[in-house]
Amino acid sequence: MGPVLDVVLSTGFLAAILGVSTPYVLAALGGLLAERAGVPNIALEGSMLAAACTGALVAGYSGSVWAGAACGIAAGALLALLLGVLHLYLGADAIIAGIGLNLLAAGATAYTVYALLGDKGGTSRLHSGALPSVRLPLIEDVPGLGAVLSGQNVLTWAALATTPAVAWLLYRARFGFHLRAVGEHPEAARSTGIHVHRVQFRALALSGALAGASGVFLSMGAVSFFVTGMTAGRGYIALAAVFLGALRPWGVFLAALGFGAAEALAVQLGNLDIPSQLVSAIPYVFTLLALAFFAWRRRSAARTATAPTSPPALPTLETT
Amino acid sequence: MTSTLEPAAEQQRRPETQGRREFLAARRRAVVVELTMTVLTVAVAVLIAFLVVLATGKDATGALNALLTGPLERTPRIGRWLADATTLSLLGLSVAIPFRARQISLGAEGQVYAGALASALVAINLPLPPVAAVLVPLGAAALAGGALGAVPGVMKARLGANEIVATLMLNAVVVRVFDYLLTDHLKAPGSTAVQSAPVRPDSALPLLSDFFGVPLDQANIGLFGMLAVAAAVWFLLARTPLGYRIRMTGSNPDFARFGGLDVPRTIEWSFVIGGALAGLAGAHLALGIYGGLQPDMAGGLAFEGIVVALLGRNNPVGVVAAALLYSYLRVGGDVMEQQTDVGSEAVTIIQAVIVLLVTARALPELVKRYLARREAR
Repeated sequence: MGPVLDVVLSTGFLAAILGVSTPYVLAALGGLLAERAGVPNIALEGSMLAAACTGALVAGYSGSVWAGAACGIAAGALLALLLGVLHLYLGADAIIAGIGLNLLAAGATAYTVYALLGDKGGTSRLHSGALPSVRLPLIEDVPGLGAVLSGQNVLTWAALATTPAVAWLLYRARFGFHLRAVGEHPEAARSTGIHVHRVQFRALALSGALAGASGVFLSMGAVSFFVTGMTAGRGYIALAAVFLGALRPWGVFLAALGFGAAEALAVQLGNLDIPSQLVSAIPYVFTLLALAFFAWRRRSAARTATAPTSPPALPTLETT
Repeated sequence: MTSTLEPAAEQQRRPETQGRREFLAARRRAVVVELTMTVLTVAVAVLIAFLVVLATGKDATGALNALLTGPLERTPRIGRWLADATTLSLLGLSVAIPFRARQISLGAEGQVYAGALASALVAINLPLPPVAAVLVPLGAAALAGGALGAVPGVMKARLGANEIVATLMLNAVVVRVFDYLLTDHLKAPGSTAVQSAPVRPDSALPLLSDFFGVPLDQANIGLFGMLAVAAAVWFLLARTPLGYRIRMTGSNPDFARFGGLDVPRTIEWSFVIGGALAGLAGAHLALGIYGGLQPDMAGGLAFEGIVVALLGRNNPVGVVAAALLYSYLRVGGDVMEQQTDVGSEAVTIIQAVIVLLVTARALPELVKRYLARREAR
């Protein structure tokens, strides 16, 4: 265990965790907002992909990384709004429509990159640049802490700041009250005069924007180009973090951090003689167990809370 | 419809025959409408992709031509079409069964790898007499897929755990375990590429080329197996008590429960049967297409199974038809990529538009309204 501990306890590893977790944290917080508003956003993956591609392309052609980031985030929000139109106005199942949008994003980004640059792999020949990392003059000199915190990407800091912001929004802001009311009981919310669809669309726009920021980090954070399919299922994992974090901002943040830590660990252990695939499978096994545990606890709580004559909770589709 | 005041002579004699005939006629009309919708949906999706290609200034007409006629131009392409349709049909059926019970299972990806792994392990290591050499690996694949399907099934039915998250997590685990086993334990000795030893010749699914004497690429006897499976799924859903329970659970869970059906058990079975079919799709890939195990061998096929199930409206016959239609576009997309400057990603766009059109219910509603208006006139 010696070499493993050396890896885990190094400051470089802790810094890596923050970096690797950034896309998970941002996308998962986005998924949380949509879920709390009653629209499961499985299109997180598509939002990330569209944003990553748009960001790199706009930054490459305009020469401004900030314009790229802004357009990327807008593209992510747009895709989520499209989900809203399909689900809320056209009566599509949110899950299936989300899968369709993910496919659309995968096809459209690959096609656009190929049509513009003639390269199937990605935008590596377009020099688009990356968003700057932030150096902290004072903390930088503190041994240990400086190596972990200073020099992180600006979006990593954004991810850290977004968690309390989302918590504040959900529990302290008027919009957050409306959002939760709409998610928990749309009819009741409507009867008090809340525009249910308007709230849901705004929640989806925020959700897509956060997923967009997450995608922008992928193509303009650690690297400075877009690779087709570079999200590699991270949107789905972020969705799992939403449920694992029990639909609470800080819980979601910790769950996303856990996925990031496991991924960083798997990368580090690749150098040692431990199968990295098995290490990277651990968070998923853990999520499954946690999912079963929370579901079991919720069900037994529901059973004691209701009168003995009433039938047990029905396993209906929870996602409509 | 005949007037009830003046019943026809025939109807007077055998009213039940008349009623049945009317019922059948109505059902035939419904089938025709559904089929028209399916073809219309695909046509609209292809048209949208055509416009996208046109907008990017590529050779759109040539691309459309390659897409639509390419697969039929040479027999190996026909073979590739049939082989692809076999896998896609099995995947579509595997998704359609939980869908019928109103369960959204996204677990086909993991189940495909589990089925491929189980069938290949048997087919590489176990010497068996000729016919059993094919059947035993297939059984192992169905068992492995079914067992994997049982996990989210039980979690959903007994605990109410979200089946979407459960199946997605299980996929991630299985894919990694598959990767690990393949690279660290099953890699053929002396081989530089990461792939398993080939399956025993007795276990490989017999190629159709050997029967028909024309080169049909990798199309194999699995095609007929798939048709048999589709027939079995139709029989299960339409003619057995379990099929009735699955349909009832899907269409009205409250009614099913108060009618005394064991809803949780029905949900579990829908997941298990779906998993077994996805496992068979994995066996088809391992024994029929690749003749062994390869990394990333299922690609994104599992999600395409969802498209096929949706397009086929979760109806076994419809699913097979949709798979044929859809795999035709996939092979056409490859031809298009080779012959023109339009990438096969255009097919992914077609696929996405199909999903969105099918789920949005906008198009069928409009068509239905149009038909109703015409009938009223």
